[in-house]
Amino acid sequence: MYIDDYVVPGALHGGTVRSEVARGRLRGIRKDPSFDWSGVTVLTHEDVPHNTVALIEADQPILAHGEIRHCYEPVALVACEDPVRLQHALRAVTLDVEPLPALLTLEESFDRRVVIYREDNVQKRYLIEHELKEPIEAILARCDVVLSGRYRVHHQEQLYIEPQGMVAWWDSVGVHITGSLQCPYYVHKAITHAFGLDGDRVHVTQAVTGGGFGGKEEYPSVIAAHAALLSKATQRPVRMIYGRKEDIEATTKRHPARVDVTTGCTKDGELVAVDIKCVMDGGAYVTLTPVVLSRGILHAAGAYRWKHARVEGVAVATNTPPNGAFRGFGAPQTIWAIERHMDRLAAKFGREPLAWKREHAMTLGSTTVTGQVLRESVGVDECVTRAMAASRYDEKRALYDQKTEGARVRRGIGASVFLHGAGFTGSGERKLKGKVRIDLETGGRIRIRTASTDIGQGTETVFRQLAADAARIPMDRVAFETPSTTAVPDSGPTVASRTVMVVGSIVARGAKLVGDRVRAFAAEHKLPASLPDDFARAGDALMLSRGERVSELVTYEPPVAAPWDDETYRGDAYPCYAWGCDIAEVEVDLDTFEVKVLGFWAAQDIGKAINPVLCAGQVEGGTLQAIGWALYEDIVWKDGKILNARMTNYVIPTSKDAPRFDTILVEHPFSGGPNGAKGVGELPMDGGAPAIAAAIEQAIGVACDDLPLLPERLYEAYARAQLRSEATK
Amino acid sequence: MVPPREGVRTFPPSGLAKTELVSPRTIAEACDVLSRASVEGKRAVLLCGGTDWIVDRHLMAPEKVKPVDTVIDLTKVAALSSIGFHEVDGARRMVLGGGVTYWSLRRDARVLGTVPMLATMARDVGAVQIQTRGTLAGNLASASPAADGVPALMALDGIAVLTSTRGERRVPIDGFFTAYRKTVLEKDEIITAIDLRIPSDGAIVTWRKVGTRLAQAISKVALAAVLERDASGVVTRARFGMASVGPMTAPLRNVRTLLEGKPLASIDRLALDAAVAKDVTPIDDVRSTGEYRIHVAKTLVWRALHP
Amino acid sequence: MIRLTVNGHPHEVDAPPLSRLLDALRLTIGLTGTKEGCGEGECGACTVLLDGVPVNSCLVALGQCEGSEITTVEGLAMGDELSALQRCFVESGGAQCGICTPGMLVSAEALLRDNEAPSEEEVRDAIAGNLCRCTGYQRIVDAIGEASVKLAMAKRPQGGE
Repeated sequence: MYIDDYVVPGALHGGTVRSEVARGRLRGIRKDPSFDWSGVTVLTHEDVPHNTVALIEADQPILAHGEIRHCYEPVALVACEDPVRLQHALRAVTLDVEPLPALLTLEESFDRRVVIYREDNVQKRYLIEHELKEPIEAILARCDVVLSGRYRVHHQEQLYIEPQGMVAWWDSVGVHITGSLQCPYYVHKAITHAFGLDGDRVHVTQAVTGGGFGGKEEYPSVIAAHAALLSKATQRPVRMIYGRKEDIEATTKRHPARVDVTTGCTKDGELVAVDIKCVMDGGAYVTLTPVVLSRGILHAAGAYRWKHARVEGVAVATNTPPNGAFRGFGAPQTIWAIERHMDRLAAKFGREPLAWKREHAMTLGSTTVTGQVLRESVGVDECVTRAMAASRYDEKRALYDQKTEGARVRRGIGASVFLHGAGFTGSGERKLKGKVRIDLETGGRIRIRTASTDIGQGTETVFRQLAADAARIPMDRVAFETPSTTAVPDSGPTVASRTVMVVGSIVARGAKLVGDRVRAFAAEHKLPASLPDDFARAGDALMLSRGERVSELVTYEPPVAAPWDDETYRGDAYPCYAWGCDIAEVEVDLDTFEVKVLGFWAAQDIGKAINPVLCAGQVEGGTLQAIGWALYEDIVWKDGKILNARMTNYVIPTSKDAPRFDTILVEHPFSGGPNGAKGVGELPMDGGAPAIAAAIEQAIGVACDDLPLLPERLYEAYARAQLRSEATK
Repeated sequence: MVPPREGVRTFPPSGLAKTELVSPRTIAEACDVLSRASVEGKRAVLLCGGTDWIVDRHLMAPEKVKPVDTVIDLTKVAALSSIGFHEVDGARRMVLGGGVTYWSLRRDARVLGTVPMLATMARDVGAVQIQTRGTLAGNLASASPAADGVPALMALDGIAVLTSTRGERRVPIDGFFTAYRKTVLEKDEIITAIDLRIPSDGAIVTWRKVGTRLAQAISKVALAAVLERDASGVVTRARFGMASVGPMTAPLRNVRTLLEGKPLASIDRLALDAAVAKDVTPIDDVRSTGEYRIHVAKTLVWRALHP
Repeated sequence: MIRLTVNGHPHEVDAPPLSRLLDALRLTIGLTGTKEGCGEGECGACTVLLDGVPVNSCLVALGQCEGSEITTVEGLAMGDELSALQRCFVESGGAQCGICTPGMLVSAEALLRDNEAPSEEEVRDAIAGNLCRCTGYQRIVDAIGEASVKLAMAKRPQGGE
């Protein structure tokens, strides 16, 4: 049941009064005296015991107080039995805001037109330096071919088809929260903090969740806090389900970024040095920005071997709704830049771009820009080979190079080569100590207890499969407990492409331990245990003999690796990387510059496909989201407000827009993942946009540095290019 | 009979909780109800598929809501779904009931056999779920310049038949709109039919919609065109309807004047572009830019002449 | 009081006639299989069959359904058994998070009742009003294609005559 399906007797509907101004001093909150307030509850920051959303920093208030820092910032909460009356009540609460000059883009913030955060608008900085015995400028100055480029990417809304929603209620035990979410323990932490409660008084349960993609990673903590506040004040359950407009306006989006890349090569085309400066727009509050920026810069040098590298990342604050997690989490932004840059480099050297990229791609034994030596599981070259073969890349590249006069459409084929670190960065997993519990139940069944949520990616199926294999019992005897903080340990959040590789590995280990215990007991008592029903009898006998629960609690131990230094950003950034080569074939209409994606080949090295159908589903779905980001999706802003907060005007691909995908699962197993699996969730997001851009470039000769590749922009770029070429005639 | 559940109550959108809904069975009955509502000072609304009106009500800001007393549901008036033919001055014309849906246009053998452009246009409207409900009368009455049906009806020399208790009047589609979202429709009138000219054999009939995506899209520019020439290649008829390029669906009168009476081969691209530029006033909006729209408008018209 | 038939069962719904059909189904009648994703007729999660044709139930006024037959996703299964279409969806990865699935199934059902052997283009056209953010559509399209084949085979006479 999705959260909106629950019938909650006696529940009130909750709503939020939000700022309509991007920045200002909140001078007062006024309730219209001519409105009938009976049966309506209104809460403000004074009603919040601890008014911060517990995440990385304590900078985001649950309800604004004194200052407004972005449009749609929540200021007051209202609850009422009648949802139509609620809408009127929300309008009857007005905010007295004295507007202040606002920073609405990362450029404005970076240039410090105004300072809105700390002393310099900077939320976070990172620096990666690789083999820099002298400044990178000096190294670049000695290179034969130096090329610079600036690349920009825009916001993206997750647009899960099920809007966000929570239900909260209080009783003698404490507070109960059920909702659409990815990480029950994130919400748990936020609520214990907001209300100053002991952990066992906060119960958070995941409802069946209709898509998340990161959008329901940290944001649910905010709605949960809002619903819990209203529920506490009214002593009634409260339902807070967002309408689509509110969801698009108020929730987190992908961080926009501006990436400057300068590379130095020898005249023979050897990659010598790369200097990258990445600026990300964090929005008004920090939320997960430091982690997004971190992943962004760790992927900024791409899938390539560099002798020297300097990667600098800066996240700046703006007066826009805080940006947050979205599949890829910083990597799609920086990979866009390095891929477009490598396409330009290839052109500079007169080389075919994919051959150029393949030549420079990392291999076993390569060293990354953090000094990590890739000791295993580097399948990028096989990805390139197989994608090229399946798409007939070389043949089409040659064919589409020939331009026919007077054609109304032009075709092109283009490619991207990319990587995605699986699991949390560096010491993340060691710090987290994610846990899973496996219980033996009657009838030879086992139950998996994990906080990892199924948000559509098939966690439940894959975990049951892994557990069944490890315990050597049929899959239909494996149960997956609904993730609720009362019933499952904290396995860590459902993010970072870690679910199968990290949590799956301890699910398998736990299941094996339980299976082994049953078989050891059987051997000891000379009972058979290989057939499922024998196993069941032996298991029941074990449980009886022990008189207590037979259960294994397993904690994740990251594979022993070179240490990661959070200060210097050196070492093994990720246990391993997944790799990909995407090839897109497009047709551009020369009248309208509409882009049709004719075909898409995604070769992805994910270590081992535990469940190939689910794996391919992740690749196809993720790739279409990347195509959406490249060609259709755009948040249109005016004075810090979103003009297109509706599904009509925030455009995602329909079934008629989507191409057929040829998914090629490449397997270079990773010894630290269950059966060799790495992560797959985010990798497909990283390669789609640059592959499309490269294909468009071949088709119409326009090299785009910025997303989105809307027809209006392609038309403008093409027209400008025509004028330029006419001028030089 | 399944007894009513102890279920949760529904909450209709603001201003509609006490609205009554009446479903007349005939046009006369519908006109009667509408006229009485007007006389009694009741706020009445005509409703067919609701694909525009219900969305507008749902998204309306609560403070802008005007309550409605009566909704007159026209979906049960069978006569409004009729598709028929008649002859005027020896020329065959098709009459589509105001309640004909896009879904009917797509599938009806008579439409496919005489004016397939209507079926092509209908396939571009939203998606199946919208096509099964959306009607031509609804499209006309909503008077959005982005309407898909209106340009097609305009290019086919459509005449809207407006019926009330006072009788019937006929208004050409290109005279139906007076300003942005405003029409000549009186409070007591129902758009009961649209009378269309069937293009002659050999006519070049075009429909092209450029939207934000291939389905469920509001057009950036859409063009319907009917071009007829005599044996020597002189244009005898050039009729257009263009969406999303101004406050109302654009008939492209300057383009028509440029073309009619001239040999098609003599029409020069620059002159055509200039005529289009005089006929359209596209703006920048949340979906596209004025500059792009002008370019596409000119291009689509050129292509309509040279498919 | 509005009388309508839902999944073959007659119902009398006492609700304002301008209530949305979607709300009457989910709230009053209690069939929550039909979902609300946008409330504006864009996403298709609320698709039901109204007198046999697919509509967005968020755009239909309850009062317009007097005497009508509604089929929701709950009406597609045969008791506890999944329909051929539903089985194809499950087996081929056509459902990930599942929120678009009810609408997809209803649109697909309408297509297959009307067109026994749809082409891929026809399938994509039939579900163009059902937005999916998880799957990329391909497995849904292929599931519908497989279902059409299975249904056609089931109709063939057994053996010779």
